[in-house]
Amino acid sequence: MMLIFVACTKDEYEGPSLQNLYGEFSLLSPFSISNLNPDFSNNEMVKFHCEFNKSVDWKITIRGLQTGSVKEITGFSNRIDSGLVSWNGNTSEVPFFSEETCALELSFLTELDTLRDTLTILGKKVYEGIMVADFENGIPPDALVFHQFSMNMTFETASDDPLNGNSYFKMGGRMGWNEWFLGSIDFPLDMSAVNSSADEFYINLGVLSGINGEVASDQFINILISESNHPFNDDLTNNASDVFQDTMEVYKYQIRPVDWIGWNMISVSYDQFEVKSSGGNNIRQPNNITAIKLQCQSCPGVSANCPENMSVDVRTDVDFLIFTEGTGVLNQ
Amino acid sequence: MNNYFLKIFLLNFSIFQLASSSFSQQNEKIWFDGLGRSYFSRDNVLSNKDTISPKSMSSGYNLLDLNVHVNPIPNIEVFGQVRVQNQFGGFFGSGTEIDVRQLTARGTLKNKVRFSVGDIFLKQNKYTLHNYDEDLNFYGSDLYNSYKSIIDYENFYQDNRWRLQGLQVDFSYKFDRFIRTLEVDLFTTRPRGSSQLNSALNTFQSDMLLSGGTIYSQISKSISAELNYTILNELPNSGTQLSSVKNPVYQFGLIHQYSAKKFSINSKIQTGLSEKSWSHKVGYDSISHNRLGMFFEYKSEISKLDSSFNLSMGYRYVDPNFRSSAAQSRRIDMAESNLNSIYTIYSNDAVVRPISIFDIISDQNIFNQNISPTLMNFNPIFSNALPYGDATPNRVGLFLDGFYKHKKKYFNINFNTSFFSEVIGQGTSRKRTFLTFAQLTKVNLNELFNQRKEFNFSLGYRNQITNREGDSIERINLNSTHIDFKIEKELLEKVYFNFSTKRIKGIGNEYLVSRDDFDEILTFQQVNYNRIDYLHALGIKYQFKRDVYIDVQYNLWGSEFNIANFNDFDFQRLLFIFSIKL
Repeated sequence: MMLIFVACTKDEYEGPSLQNLYGEFSLLSPFSISNLNPDFSNNEMVKFHCEFNKSVDWKITIRGLQTGSVKEITGFSNRIDSGLVSWNGNTSEVPFFSEETCALELSFLTELDTLRDTLTILGKKVYEGIMVADFENGIPPDALVFHQFSMNMTFETASDDPLNGNSYFKMGGRMGWNEWFLGSIDFPLDMSAVNSSADEFYINLGVLSGINGEVASDQFINILISESNHPFNDDLTNNASDVFQDTMEVYKYQIRPVDWIGWNMISVSYDQFEVKSSGGNNIRQPNNITAIKLQCQSCPGVSANCPENMSVDVRTDVDFLIFTEGTGVLNQ
Repeated sequence: MNNYFLKIFLLNFSIFQLASSSFSQQNEKIWFDGLGRSYFSRDNVLSNKDTISPKSMSSGYNLLDLNVHVNPIPNIEVFGQVRVQNQFGGFFGSGTEIDVRQLTARGTLKNKVRFSVGDIFLKQNKYTLHNYDEDLNFYGSDLYNSYKSIIDYENFYQDNRWRLQGLQVDFSYKFDRFIRTLEVDLFTTRPRGSSQLNSALNTFQSDMLLSGGTIYSQISKSISAELNYTILNELPNSGTQLSSVKNPVYQFGLIHQYSAKKFSINSKIQTGLSEKSWSHKVGYDSISHNRLGMFFEYKSEISKLDSSFNLSMGYRYVDPNFRSSAAQSRRIDMAESNLNSIYTIYSNDAVVRPISIFDIISDQNIFNQNISPTLMNFNPIFSNALPYGDATPNRVGLFLDGFYKHKKKYFNINFNTSFFSEVIGQGTSRKRTFLTFAQLTKVNLNELFNQRKEFNFSLGYRNQITNREGDSIERINLNSTHIDFKIEKELLEKVYFNFSTKRIKGIGNEYLVSRDDFDEILTFQQVNYNRIDYLHALGIKYQFKRDVYIDVQYNLWGSEFNIANFNDFDFQRLLFIFSIKL
């Protein structure tokens, strides 16, 4: 009789493990870090290893003590496998890590235990991509800047709070009349060597916002990309490119609203751009891109559209405009 | 608006039928029957800890179900049931409802093929299509017969059949060689129609169909065979649901019968397969959530030909992946969303009152009339070994049951016992075991003392022990004890006094299973029980005849939770039922 029972039962189970749900948590091996002085500029990696007695939601948090940059790695398992869990120096939140000391923390969603350590970055990560503008040498010579002549206009480079390196481009000010458009910066491009499709081609842009803890209502950035073969600067009198006309092949993406304080990295694949003016085939082709325009816009304070903006300057400063292929810059 | 006109039409139609009945009845082309009922209950809170709920509440109704049977031609019958119901408190007809409860046409084609269209009541094998009794049903005992008859009637429970809407045909052949008979029964039904879920989002629920068939053959005098098949499927194109279920079930059985002078022995061996799969419009591949399962059962029973003794025993294996929606749908879904009618919210914490023994006995509204494509929730105190009947998945074990009736009707005993184990564990490789013992003894004192008027008592007892060995997390030990007692005395001619008491005590720990929309286990909820449910009933019943009676009862009932996060509750009820079967 017992044979019938034993023969018909199996040593497996359905559903999640009770041990995982209700078992008491304990570490089976210490939290080990493979490299405490990584040089990410040489493609070095930091690998992590730890083992627990049950599967848990775990999180490794790496925080730059100088930049405040944060990298988080999460998972659900009973083992942090050094073959799978590693860090290449990238970040989850800008600013980017620099050569600095970082605090490491291994924490668990449902447990009180937290394990801590530190490491020192000897060389920061070099992001791969097509750099359009990092403003380290000022405004690129072939770029065109236009802005309205109103209050506190700041369409120029500055070095007080860069996202990367020592310099960034400020776009802001305050409009004194009923006008949304404050100004823009245009860059000519040659992307003919790019092979990626639109969904694999990413436009990455660092955006800084907030002055004294305040942001202007409904301030935003228009990103226009042109695939027109018209001369970039056909009209030398207007301080703006001439390849974004309504009759040309132009695509648009809005970062709207820009309502955060500090830097934020925006990564958008090209296929998310909408057709602004259908002067071409309406097919987004990265290798046909000839120019990009960043427009600063905001709800005007005059004429009572956004009266609260009468006392706040618009700020949509930008830095580190880079095109990447395959993934956004923060996922590299 | 359409419903309003339909009701007026049906009411006029009924009146017209009544007016013409005398003529029609003479020609035996139209005849009537039905049921009338007056129901009134008054409930009171007894607990002093509840100062928010109303101290007492009452409700009731009068209803008349008029059944119209029309035989337009021989061998064809059209049956319609119209309900007129008036809630107590309705004024000038404002609380009056008129509904068509049932519509069926049935007949025989050329005296060979029988058919039914409309509302049909279907039952097959216990693994393919079966409406299992609700929890706490003690051999269909009549301890709370008035409540039970209302619940069964209102929920269309007839002999473990599901009430469905569709078409059924059956026919049979007799042969003079190879096999003796061949009986075929086929049906197709629509347990659920396509309906709009959200008008703003324009979302629709899909049609659900249940179809199947039975082939039964008497191969020889002692051997017969059966083949059952059902398939439940949702039609993805009739709705906007992202996933649609398909659940075919196959069963094959061989029956051997042996009859001697005073007793007979029947043996049955049966096995079957099931598949449950979901077709997804987005998100999953075609084999996501696909399950294949099987079952096997051997049962042998010995019976005395005078029906005074029966003993059966057997072995059953039901795979963890065996899924048969039409056999595993429960009468009561123990989900929190299934709300009681009486004191739904209770206590000063204003929490939802859990389903108790009283609700299972008396509340017709917590019962389910639909086939559920996923396993429904159950309460391990009330039923842990076989919450989905014989078709409960993940069980292997032995069972024994039987009855004995005294020749002189002094007493009769029903009993059963079983020992089951899980096939695979839940959350651990260790398995639960379930040991159940139940018996009901009825002693007819009037026969014993040779009195004409009824005087009897019944004592029922069931004990179910669930165990799982292991460490402190894996270990389960749940003991559920159920005691029933009833005494009935015919005081005057057809006037019965009765007292009954029912008590369940569940003590121990268990893990409740939480499943997703595809029947996969999501998590386990650790629960500890030290709960006592009780129901005492005192009543007088005047039985004009078998189906015509007045029943007046006083009920005292409640639950003590002790260590759980529920407040105890105690209530009382005064009940009046006047029921007439026309």
